[in-house]
Amino acid sequence: MIYTVLIPLLLASFIPFISKFKLKIHTGVFVFLIPLVIFLYFIQFIGSGFEPVRHTYNWIPSLGINFDFYLDGLSLLFALLISGIGTLVVLYSIYYLDRSEPLGHFYVYLMMFMSAMLGIVLSDNVFVLYTFWELTSISSFLLIGYWHFNERSRYGALKSMIITIFGGLSMFGGFALLSVITGTASIQFMIANTDIILASPYTPLALGFLLLGAFTKSAQFPFHIWLPDAMEAPTPVSAYLHSATMVKAGLYLVARFSPVFGDYEWFFIIVTIAGIVTLCWGSYMAVHQTDLKAILAFSTISQLGMIMAMLGFGTKVAIFAAVFHILNHATFKGSLFMVAGTVDHETGTRDIRKLGGLLTFMPITATLAMFGTFSMAGIPLPFLNGFYSKELFFESTLRLQDDISSIAGFLVDIIPYLAVLGSIFTFVYSLYFLFGTFGGTSQLDKLTKKPHEAPLGMLISPGILIFGVILIGLFPSAINGTFIAHAAEAVYGGPIAKDIYFWHGWGSPQFQMSLIVVGIGAVLTATRTKWSGLYHVFPGKLSINKIYDTVIEKLDTVSTKITTFYMTGSLRTYMIIILSTILVVTAGFMLATGGITIDFSDLAPVTAIEVSVALMVAAAAIGTIFVKKNLAVILIAGVAGYGVSLLFVIYRAPDLALTQLVVETVSVALFLLCFYHLPDLKKRNEPLKTKTINTIISVGFGAMVTMIGISAHSSDWFGTISDYFLKTSHSLGGGDNVVNVILVDMRGLDTLFEITVLGIAALAIYTLIKFKTNRGGK
Amino acid sequence: MSNLAVLPIIIPLLSGIILAFFPKRLTFVRILSKIFIVSNLAVASFITWLVFSQGPVILETGDWAAPYGIIIVADELSILLVLTTNIVAAACAFYAPHSLTDRKEKYYFYTFFFLLISGVSGAFLTGDIFNMFVFFEVLLMASYALIILGGDKVQLRESMKYVFINLFSSMLFVTAVGFLYGTVGTVNMAQIAQRVQQVDQQGILTTVGILLFFVFAVKAALFPLYYWMPKSYIVPNPVISALFGALLTKVGIYAIIRVFSLIFVHKIELTHEAFIWIAGLSMIFGVLGALSTQNIKLIIAYNIIPAIGFIIMGIGIFNQDGISGSIYYLIHDMLIKASLFLLVGTITYAAGTSDLRKFSGLIHYYPFLGWMLFVSGFVLAGIPPFSGFIGKVLLLRGAFSAGEVVIVIIALLSSLLILYSIMKIFIRGFWGEKDQSFQPKSIKGRTAPIVVLLALSVFLGIGAEFIYPSIESISKYLLNPADYINAVMEG
Amino acid sequence: MEFIISILAGVLFATAIYNLLQKQFLRLVIGSVLLSHGAHLFLLTMGKLKRGAPPILTDNVNDYTDPLPQALILTSIVISFGITSLLLVLAYRTAEENNTDNIEQLRGNENE
Repeated sequence: MIYTVLIPLLLASFIPFISKFKLKIHTGVFVFLIPLVIFLYFIQFIGSGFEPVRHTYNWIPSLGINFDFYLDGLSLLFALLISGIGTLVVLYSIYYLDRSEPLGHFYVYLMMFMSAMLGIVLSDNVFVLYTFWELTSISSFLLIGYWHFNERSRYGALKSMIITIFGGLSMFGGFALLSVITGTASIQFMIANTDIILASPYTPLALGFLLLGAFTKSAQFPFHIWLPDAMEAPTPVSAYLHSATMVKAGLYLVARFSPVFGDYEWFFIIVTIAGIVTLCWGSYMAVHQTDLKAILAFSTISQLGMIMAMLGFGTKVAIFAAVFHILNHATFKGSLFMVAGTVDHETGTRDIRKLGGLLTFMPITATLAMFGTFSMAGIPLPFLNGFYSKELFFESTLRLQDDISSIAGFLVDIIPYLAVLGSIFTFVYSLYFLFGTFGGTSQLDKLTKKPHEAPLGMLISPGILIFGVILIGLFPSAINGTFIAHAAEAVYGGPIAKDIYFWHGWGSPQFQMSLIVVGIGAVLTATRTKWSGLYHVFPGKLSINKIYDTVIEKLDTVSTKITTFYMTGSLRTYMIIILSTILVVTAGFMLATGGITIDFSDLAPVTAIEVSVALMVAAAAIGTIFVKKNLAVILIAGVAGYGVSLLFVIYRAPDLALTQLVVETVSVALFLLCFYHLPDLKKRNEPLKTKTINTIISVGFGAMVTMIGISAHSSDWFGTISDYFLKTSHSLGGGDNVVNVILVDMRGLDTLFEITVLGIAALAIYTLIKFKTNRGGK
Repeated sequence: MSNLAVLPIIIPLLSGIILAFFPKRLTFVRILSKIFIVSNLAVASFITWLVFSQGPVILETGDWAAPYGIIIVADELSILLVLTTNIVAAACAFYAPHSLTDRKEKYYFYTFFFLLISGVSGAFLTGDIFNMFVFFEVLLMASYALIILGGDKVQLRESMKYVFINLFSSMLFVTAVGFLYGTVGTVNMAQIAQRVQQVDQQGILTTVGILLFFVFAVKAALFPLYYWMPKSYIVPNPVISALFGALLTKVGIYAIIRVFSLIFVHKIELTHEAFIWIAGLSMIFGVLGALSTQNIKLIIAYNIIPAIGFIIMGIGIFNQDGISGSIYYLIHDMLIKASLFLLVGTITYAAGTSDLRKFSGLIHYYPFLGWMLFVSGFVLAGIPPFSGFIGKVLLLRGAFSAGEVVIVIIALLSSLLILYSIMKIFIRGFWGEKDQSFQPKSIKGRTAPIVVLLALSVFLGIGAEFIYPSIESISKYLLNPADYINAVMEG
Repeated sequence: MEFIISILAGVLFATAIYNLLQKQFLRLVIGSVLLSHGAHLFLLTMGKLKRGAPPILTDNVNDYTDPLPQALILTSIVISFGITSLLLVLAYRTAEENNTDNIEQLRGNENE
């Protein structure tokens, strides 16, 4: 099974080489074989006696991250869709994309996507699933940006990436949480241990994380906004990723985790609301679009919402209908996208306002479109699969009460009405799409090309899909027993036996609902221009896109504002922030941990001479602040330095005193050398506020270190290791000056690198001076 | 055998000194520097193998037994970082001749370079807190020299701020070491740990620990102490930026990991909880910084801050997954940051500007650069199967086990924005119309080091099975300070 | 006496920081020098003051002052000296190159 996932990815790496040869044959012809073979591989699993298959390949076993492929009914349904539609899309693309395009890239991305998508539906390991999940987002990004010289493509690509990766990361959080709760990364194991998950206080969080991932990927309201912009991708991509497969990954995720969260009331509430709202919003907005692909995009959003809602219901009927509709939607929507692409290809536009009357020019395309749209609209004809799933959908909305006893009673009551509402608009946009393109009178003057029927090659793929629409419509029970039921059972977590009946009787409520939809839908379609002003009122100026745009824009502007606010380039600002942070936090910790200890017991006696030297140093240090002449400030600082060496003398540190003396003298000389010619210190006319801040911070910091110093001195719990040095200096170190022995022997490494520091400094100074004087030279 | 431990410090030291004697003989110096760095890499690899197969290699310098002499401790953590340092350094050494002007190379670039490596390795390997200060100064001094190499107006300007802030933290370091000596009477880290444990980190000790934390946090560029970093990292040549970005901040974070897993581990509910907050704020402000600019070098420089945030997050969580995550992330970030700095350096060179508003459509001329940047973006953001992902899985698991939910949400959101900040470069700079008038420059020789670094960080993700068990063992080792203490005190 | 020296070191810290918050290079460098004095005095105090003879072994003397802080300070003094010298030349060159000795005028903008 791993080969089916890896082969597209591996072979994809050869595609650029194939396309390098300027062959007469379209690159797609070679690529076409890959999904076909995979499709044939998965076909063998279809049958009533199907049992789940598991193959495990190690990746990072020590982290519990392995390629744990698990093929059950649900995975099989998706795998067939991915490889089947993939085959048709590649076939279609051979005729759709000209050989002058960078085809190598296109097919690499497409195969990368196919691998990733198969990976999602086959992985039982959540982290591997997440890996493939992000890979689909990445390939989707690249495919949307395929024509990246278009501003709109770049915009759409970025938008889809930000939204889907946002969701992906959230889902990743959910996976990590679930794996911590259950101690495993296997979905099947999680399903088997639902009780552990539901008992955890983190369940709402995990659910929220997961659903965010599912909703963004499956374009649920209000995250749907990336999908219409994704239509900038070449049409085969829209048909494949953005209607038949990738956008269904979110549905897959929800379906996959249904057995875990199915009994959790919030799962029902959130998923149902999201689905129903998306259904209504998508279908309502679809009618308002003028671009054929935009109509289909909103239609996809709406249909995804419908499936999502059914997964939310979680009843047997609903789940069966959901799974069934995943298949049906892929067939009719895939074909409709290809139809839209064909129309675009043959007329040069997708703007429905310029189209119309194409029936006479493109009769075959029109016929295919008719079957597709009728199926999508749910028109009650016994050979359209869309009608069956719509009936089942209505049935499931009506039968919610049977299975759910929930506080969300209100929700249960209004769902059927909302379902009808959404379906009415579905009916309207379906017919709008069909008649707007193919019906009415043609407007050839507005087209750049003279329309004619598409080449046969472009008709094969949509033709096969429409054939599927009819086939499923005629023999629904045939596919039910063989694999739809397996898929539904995997989602439901128990046996489902549902026969699909066409005829529920005149009096059956779901049929009446269908009739209402057709009736009102027909009226609304006929009068569409009359009520289209409604869109100015609702949504009017309300736009979720605007929110996204604002967020992205604000990310730039606000981050710039914040960052330039504190990153001023001013050393003083930096120092103030750094110092006050250290001051406040350290002082806070000192108080919180009871750090202050003052112990007067073990102190050296205070003598007058020491105190006077100390006072001198302090006075000199303070003096540096107030003196204005360069020379004076340097000398006063020197006084402080000499005072310190005096202290070293007093405190029995002859080596230190000597070194300090030498260093101080050289330093003063250097100071004078460097600053002699620089202008004198300016008169200090800084505002009082600045002075106050400086004083508070410096005094505060000084006080804090003093306090720590005193406390540290008072907390002398251990003897020092120095006694050892005193003891061994002579015998082992061979010297009587212990400080020297420490420096050259015990801590010789310190000294070696101290000299290194000095050496680097010297070399750096040399460079600093030399590099300048040689300027303009060699 | 134990003398081996000091080689990764001594070889670069000697290399630096030797190279200082032939500043004008460039061809010779270039070849020699490559030989030196590769041999150092080989030695580091060998010691790494030795440490992982036979346990820590400990050298008591001058034969003065611990805790009296300076101890060099090549344990799994320090040697792994030394190895990574040498990998990054080798890549930089091979990149340098293509990027630096001859003049800069003649002005002792290679000497400073090797001394920087020596200081960094020393800081990783030393087991003595004052000695760590000395190595910090070596690497800082070398970095001062490198940052001003060339003496441009901008460089001098930014280096002033860089030097002052680092000088301040260095002096604070000495002071804090003094305070520590005042309470526990020793500077050997193992013995400090032992003694702090004996008195249960009471009284002033936690405060001294926090002071040390701030010293390291300034070097590590943690919130809110990173102000010196972004600008000063972008003014020197890309190869120097890469060294800084990959190594300098990481030394700071290493010191935090070491000190707060070995010594100050008895008031975790206060200290480490604070780290989590600092981690979150570092992520937020770092990412905002990265989004705020159109300068591609600055975007990368700002991205250092959230990465450090991720690393400190794991320390704050302080359980096995958390620490494993931190270390994984640390190694990952060293490789990818070096690669990214070299990459944007190359892009800047190719495009003739680092201002994102001034170029687009580069992919038509430099497809390979574009795709490397693309992959780097995902590596950096921790998108699977790349290296950041493994670190992130561990961090998330650790955080959830510790009940730290807020930091996870911040971490995930900042990952998204990190990705956005890099993809911005890809979308705006590489996508777009082909500019017919553009004159592409040759970037020969510059890509190979980037490819190697990028390939390694990709391998760090895909080949995690080869790496993770070692990281896990480091994490267990760090959580049990007695191992380190015993190894040093009884070794 | 240790407390008094601690306070002195604190004063050195405070004045150093006050100088570091100023604009002119000279004051900044002076600030960093004072800072190192403060740090060294702290280090010295931590080894206790005047508890014996200078740590040069002589017969008949049993008490010596703690030699370790002295060794550490010596290392630190040399290092500080190195940094200070570099800083001085750097300040000089920066002032020359940027035509100012005011650090507040060295802000720059992001795209250079």
